[in-house]
Amino acid sequence: MISFQPTEEEQAFFQVARSLAVEKIRPAARECEKRRTVSADLIARVNELGLSALELPELWGGLELPLLSQAIIWQGLSYGDLGVIQGLPGAGEASSLFRLSSEHRAWHRYREIAKGGQWPTVAWVDEAEQKEPLKQPIRVRRRGSGYVVDGVSSPVRLASKADWVVIAARDEEETVLLALDERVWEIEEGDIRLGLLASGIARLRFAEVYAGPEQLVARGPEADAWLNRVRARNQVIEAAKEVGLMEAALDYTIEYTAGRKAFGQEIAKFQGVSFTIAEMAFACRGAKCLVWQAASAVDRGDEQADGFAWRALACAHRSLRYVTDQAVQMLGGHGYVQEYPVEKWMRDAEAQVMLYGRERDWLIRRGEQLLSERKERVAP
Amino acid sequence: MISFTLSPQQKQMKELVHWFAKHEVRPIALEADRLGRVPDEWLEKVNKMGIQLNASSFSGGRAPSVSDKKKEKKEREGNRIAVIAAEELAWGCPAVALSLPGPGLGGPPVQSSGTPEQKQRFLSIFTKDEPRWGAYALTEPEAGSDASGIRTTARKVDGGYVLNGQKIFITNGARASWVVVFATIDPSLGRAGHRAFVVEKGTPGFTATRTVQKMGLRANETAELLFEDCFVPDDNLLGGEELYSANANRPSGFQVAMKTFDSTRPIVAAMAVGIARAAYEYTLEVVKREYPRQGRLYYEAAELLAEAEQEIEAARLLTWEAAWKADIGEPNAMEAAICKAVAGKMALHVCAMCLELLGPAGLDGHLVEKLYRDVKVFDIFEGTQQIQRLVTARRLYAPYGVHV
Repeated sequence: MISFQPTEEEQAFFQVARSLAVEKIRPAARECEKRRTVSADLIARVNELGLSALELPELWGGLELPLLSQAIIWQGLSYGDLGVIQGLPGAGEASSLFRLSSEHRAWHRYREIAKGGQWPTVAWVDEAEQKEPLKQPIRVRRRGSGYVVDGVSSPVRLASKADWVVIAARDEEETVLLALDERVWEIEEGDIRLGLLASGIARLRFAEVYAGPEQLVARGPEADAWLNRVRARNQVIEAAKEVGLMEAALDYTIEYTAGRKAFGQEIAKFQGVSFTIAEMAFACRGAKCLVWQAASAVDRGDEQADGFAWRALACAHRSLRYVTDQAVQMLGGHGYVQEYPVEKWMRDAEAQVMLYGRERDWLIRRGEQLLSERKERVAP
Repeated sequence: MISFTLSPQQKQMKELVHWFAKHEVRPIALEADRLGRVPDEWLEKVNKMGIQLNASSFSGGRAPSVSDKKKEKKEREGNRIAVIAAEELAWGCPAVALSLPGPGLGGPPVQSSGTPEQKQRFLSIFTKDEPRWGAYALTEPEAGSDASGIRTTARKVDGGYVLNGQKIFITNGARASWVVVFATIDPSLGRAGHRAFVVEKGTPGFTATRTVQKMGLRANETAELLFEDCFVPDDNLLGGEELYSANANRPSGFQVAMKTFDSTRPIVAAMAVGIARAAYEYTLEVVKREYPRQGRLYYEAAELLAEAEQEIEAARLLTWEAAWKADIGEPNAMEAAICKAVAGKMALHVCAMCLELLGPAGLDGHLVEKLYRDVKVFDIFEGTQQIQRLVTARRLYAPYGVHV
């Protein structure tokens, strides 16, 4: 039955997330950005509420929530500030892999360390696909029963804080998934100024790093299968965060334009403003629907779930860029200066979109999937 | 619980209406467009099949097209079923769908505001063997989107009212057995002066002056109606005098008109989704069949098709959300406006992308070019794109006490 009614549990979670977002996260956002890290008390609060373990397996003490519930919670949290959210330490994007391979021996040590209640920070480096033209893929070669990793990654979040790195790459033949720890990499901080500055974005350099067989998580078809599922889950989570940010930008802009006066009246009364606000609302709501739908498809195990995730992320990317840009536009000069949050949100949005795959790539991939489907022919 | 899967009843309705749209509607779509009308024998046939644009569906009680008397409802899902069915019908052909016999847009105001006697009198005629239509007349030459500015007057006389004025763009207006007509008892009262009447065909002083030629929806009749000293008895005042006296200072007639939109805008949005889907599905098959399997053209096509599919899906979900809200009895005016605005714009965009993918070959007696002509009005009627933005913005600013 078609319904848009979250469960009571989801509503309760959402309320907790929203309150934290508004009361704690947003007020701390500028300072976190300036210090390029999330403050310790904020991290402690998030951990205390269990929000860093939403996707982690129950077997490990995680919440292992349905993806739809997570989408709603991430939406609520990112309403505060996406830069802060992306800088929260912990398992990050690797959570989905942990969930799917919770008993794998590659994680034994990780789990041991995590028993103190702190999840070591993991950077997620997925270079198994050459999509971005500017990417120099990380090289992985077999040596004996292990692998040698070489090269520099694209910028990824949590890199500068990582205790572990999970790498998806290709050797000469197949996809390989490796789990590295003990800081066998170097961090290249670079000169990143666009956005998500508290999220620890950096490149990781691997100089002939050897990964033994115990660090091999999977290879070949098994690695591909896991990766596909992990990517779909992560795409939905990232798209949900994007919805949270765009809702923040929309609501802030509504409030600002309702109060700001020019030419003797609230600027909201000019249709150039109010119509833009309506358009922003359309974009937010459309993206939210597609994200919820994709999340629900993943939870159901729908065979098209990956395609739903691609289109949800493509839509979220487009909507996020549009809404945050218009938020700056509607605030005029105030939008551009740092006394107001919207210029940061626009920068964060653009950085987020760059990190999580080009809209066009997701569309083409979904298009290829649609073109390969078999369906009844429609008469003209 | 959030869910995007259809209930068994919704699924059954979707399949049934799709079957009808595919086997009965689609085959006559291009010919009906060329002729500028739907063949009478076809209308008689579908009327005998019991298929019509059903009044109660629009108020949330029933599906819009197929009567199903044995339905037992646990949760009210009429609005959801209505949008699902409307999408399928429009997928077949929107012009033919809007020409189906039934009360059409006249249904909701009768259903929601009519007295029991009026409901019985006006809605029972649709159970007859021969095809019958109802219509809804709000727009005037000087009052379209600004429905509060209507000038058709209703002068109180002994035993009834005398109507004078002109209505334009009335769907099925000339063939309708009755028309819900909005008029004002006193223009100086503004919205509070509005009244809704049911005017029956053949009433002296009521004439359909002409049917207009349009860019699209050519198979569907759009009429101009003229009221010249047209006497309408008190019994035809929708809801009776009590409705208006009980709300002496409130704009009831106007509300009747506006309330209609909350249930019909999602239907119109759903139809736009159905049209876009028809164009998209057709084009997808053409690309599969005709395009090279690699190279620039192929990837461009893949991207455009995926964009189309994404936009269609987003508009559909927004439409479902508006219908769901109506079903659970929550105010849905903003959601209804949003889905209408998004779907109307989306559908034109998708049809244009499909034409681009088809190239010049798509010009020649082609379904997609017809859909492109048809779909533009979905961005106009039932409130233009601009009106939907206004409705949305007003609600977004309401908490701040700013009236935009």
